[in-house]
Amino acid sequence: MPAGYQDLDPVLDMEQYSILGRIGEGAHGIVFKAKHIETGETVALKKVALRHLEDGIPNQALREIKALQEIEDNQHVVKLKDVFPHGTGFVLVFDFMLNDLSEVIRNAQRPLTPAQVKGYMRMLLKGVTFLHHNNIMHRDLKPANLLISSSGHLKIADFGLARLFSEQGERLYSHQVATRWYRAPELLYGARRYDEGVDLWAVGCIFAELLNSSPLFPGENDIEQLCCVLRVLGTPTQESWPEMVDLPDYNKITFKENPAIPLEEIVPDTPPQAIDLLYNFLVYPSKQRCSASQALLHPYFFSSPLPAHHSELPIPQRGGRPPRQRLQAPPTDFSVDLPLQNSVVDPVMLQGHASCL
Amino acid sequence: MFHNSSQRKYWIFRSEDELENMRRSANQKFRNKILDSGKSAVSESMFLERHEEDVLFKHYERRLLDFCNAFKPVMPKSVVGTAMMYFRRFYLSNSIMEYHPRIIMLTCAYLSCKVDEFNVSCTQFVGNLLQETPAGQERVLEQILEFELLLIQQLNFHLVVHNPYRPMEGLLIDLKTRYPMLESPESLRRSADDFLTQASMTDAGLLFPPSQIALTAIVNSASRAGLHMESYLTECLGLKEDISKMYDSMRRMKTLLKKYELPKLEEVNSYKPKLERIHAEFGTASNKRKRGYEDDGHVAKEPRLVEEEWTDEDLV
Repeated sequence: MPAGYQDLDPVLDMEQYSILGRIGEGAHGIVFKAKHIETGETVALKKVALRHLEDGIPNQALREIKALQEIEDNQHVVKLKDVFPHGTGFVLVFDFMLNDLSEVIRNAQRPLTPAQVKGYMRMLLKGVTFLHHNNIMHRDLKPANLLISSSGHLKIADFGLARLFSEQGERLYSHQVATRWYRAPELLYGARRYDEGVDLWAVGCIFAELLNSSPLFPGENDIEQLCCVLRVLGTPTQESWPEMVDLPDYNKITFKENPAIPLEEIVPDTPPQAIDLLYNFLVYPSKQRCSASQALLHPYFFSSPLPAHHSELPIPQRGGRPPRQRLQAPPTDFSVDLPLQNSVVDPVMLQGHASCL
Repeated sequence: MFHNSSQRKYWIFRSEDELENMRRSANQKFRNKILDSGKSAVSESMFLERHEEDVLFKHYERRLLDFCNAFKPVMPKSVVGTAMMYFRRFYLSNSIMEYHPRIIMLTCAYLSCKVDEFNVSCTQFVGNLLQETPAGQERVLEQILEFELLLIQQLNFHLVVHNPYRPMEGLLIDLKTRYPMLESPESLRRSADDFLTQASMTDAGLLFPPSQIALTAIVNSASRAGLHMESYLTECLGLKEDISKMYDSMRRMKTLLKKYELPKLEEVNSYKPKLERIHAEFGTASNKRKRGYEDDGHVAKEPRLVEEEWTDEDLV
C-alpha cells in the first residue's frame, strides 16, 4: 500500500455520516447536508454519480479534486475534507456552510455597511491571493460561490472550473468559463489565452455588487453582456486596450462608440477610495488589473471605517444574532429567549390521551 | 507546487526495497485471494512470479509509451508522463494478475488526458487504437470507463503528478541566464530529454522529486558532452554540505537507468499465456464498475449500494 493509503472500506466511509437533508443540486451531483457521527461535525457531501456519463468521470469533479487536494488549508478557501468512493461514483466531503454571499446581498435588511463590504472584500482578496499564489485560476468567482460559514467567514468554493495555470503559454484554455455577469471582457471576445486577470475582473464585479446590492453588469446574453460592460467603461480603443485586436471575436461585432460613465455615477454614495480600488479591477487589459495581494495593501482597507470583523457580518438565515450563539444544530422548540408559554404543552391537546386531565 | 503536493507527501518512497516489498505483497495478496476462494485445482505454479510480473509490466509500460507517442493529436509530454506515473502507482499495490495491464494502461492514458486538460473526446481517444474496428473501439471505451473509478480510487484520488519536464525547462533558462561558463545549454536538451524518457520507465519518479530528476538529466547530458557543471551546483544552486547527498541521488538514478532492460520478446511470449489464463479463470467478467469494491465483500452483502442511483429516498 502506498504510504498514507487509508485502507478504509468504502461502505464504512459512507457510514461515518448521517444524512440530515438535501442542500441542492450541483452541476455534477446532489449535495447533502450530513453529520460526521464521530465528531458531530456538520459537513456537505457532494456526490458524483458516474452512471450514464458518456465521458466517464466529469472534468468538473476532477478539477475540483485536483485544485483542492494540492493546496494547504486557507481560512478563505473551502476545505476538501475527504474523498471516497460510494456506489457507482464517489463523494467529496466539504465543510458545511450556512450560506453564500449572493444570499447575504439579497437578504440584507438594509444595504451592507461600508465596514461590512470592506470585511467581505478583504476575505475575498485573501482567498484569491492564496489561490493565485498556488497557480490556481478559479475562473468562476461570483457571489453564489463565496460561502459564508457560521462564524461569518467567507470561503471561496466550487472549483469545478478551476485550473492550474503555468507561465508556459502554449496551451489554450476554454473561453466558455465564468458565469456571464462576472465574465471578463477578453472572455466575451473569445480569448483562449488568458490569465488570472479573469478572476480579478470578477472580484471587481463582486465589489460593485456589494456596494450597490445589485449586480453591476446583468447581461441577458453574451452580446448584451458586452454591451453592459462597454456602456459603463466606454468603447475600448487602441490606447485603452491594445490587445483587443488580436482576440478571436474582435471582428465579429462592432459597437457604437460611447464614452465611459464615471464609476462614481454607477456606484453612488461610495467613498473615493472604494471607487479608486474598483477602477483598479475594472480595466480592459488583464495585465493592468490590480493583483489580489496588491489590492490588500490599498488605502481603502486602512482608512475609516475599518473592515468589519467576521463576527459583525450578517448571517441572514439566523436572524441577526451574534454568530457565537448560533449553533449549527437545527432550531428547537425550546429557547431561553422565547416566552415560556410558547414551549409548554397545552393541556387541552393531551386530554384525549391522558384520562387524569 | 511540488512542496505541498500529494506526490511529495504520499508517493515518494524511501528505497527500492520498499517498492519491491509493496509489489511482492500485492502479488501475495492475489495468490491468497485465489487460494482462499477454495477453488479446486489451483496450484502455485499457475501464478506469475515477481520477476515474470516485472517483465510483463515493462512490456505493457512500453506499449503505453508507444501508444502515447503515436497519439493524434500530439500528446503533450506532461500528459504522457502523468499516464506513465499513474500506471506505476497503480501496480504498486495491485498485481497485474488481478487487473489486466492492457486495459489499465489505456485507462491511465485516458484519465491523464482529462486531468491534464488535454481535451480529446472519448471517441477521438479510442480512435487512436488503429488496429481495432469501430465496434472494437467502442468495446474498449466501455472497458476504460468501467475501470476509471477503480483507477482513481487506487491512486487514492491523488491526481496531480509533477513531471520533470517543467523543472528541466526552468533549469535550462537558469543556465542560460546565470551560468555563462556553459556555452550552449540548448545543446544539452536532446540527451537530457532521452534521460527523462528512460527515467519514466524506472522507479525514479517514485523515489526522487522531479526537480532532482531534471537536474540529473542535465548534469548527465553535460558530462556526456565532456562538460563539467560542479560550479553550477555549488555556486548557482548553492549546494554546500548537501552536495554529497545530491551526488548520491544522481548516482542512484543513473544506476536505475542502467539497470533497465528491455523486456525480451521470448520472455514476454512465454509469460503472456500464463497471464491470459489467470484472467480467463479468475477474472470477473461482468460489471467491472464494481471492481473497486470487490475486495471488501460488502458488494455481495449490500448490492443495494452499488445498484441504485443516488437519490434522496435512500438517504433521508
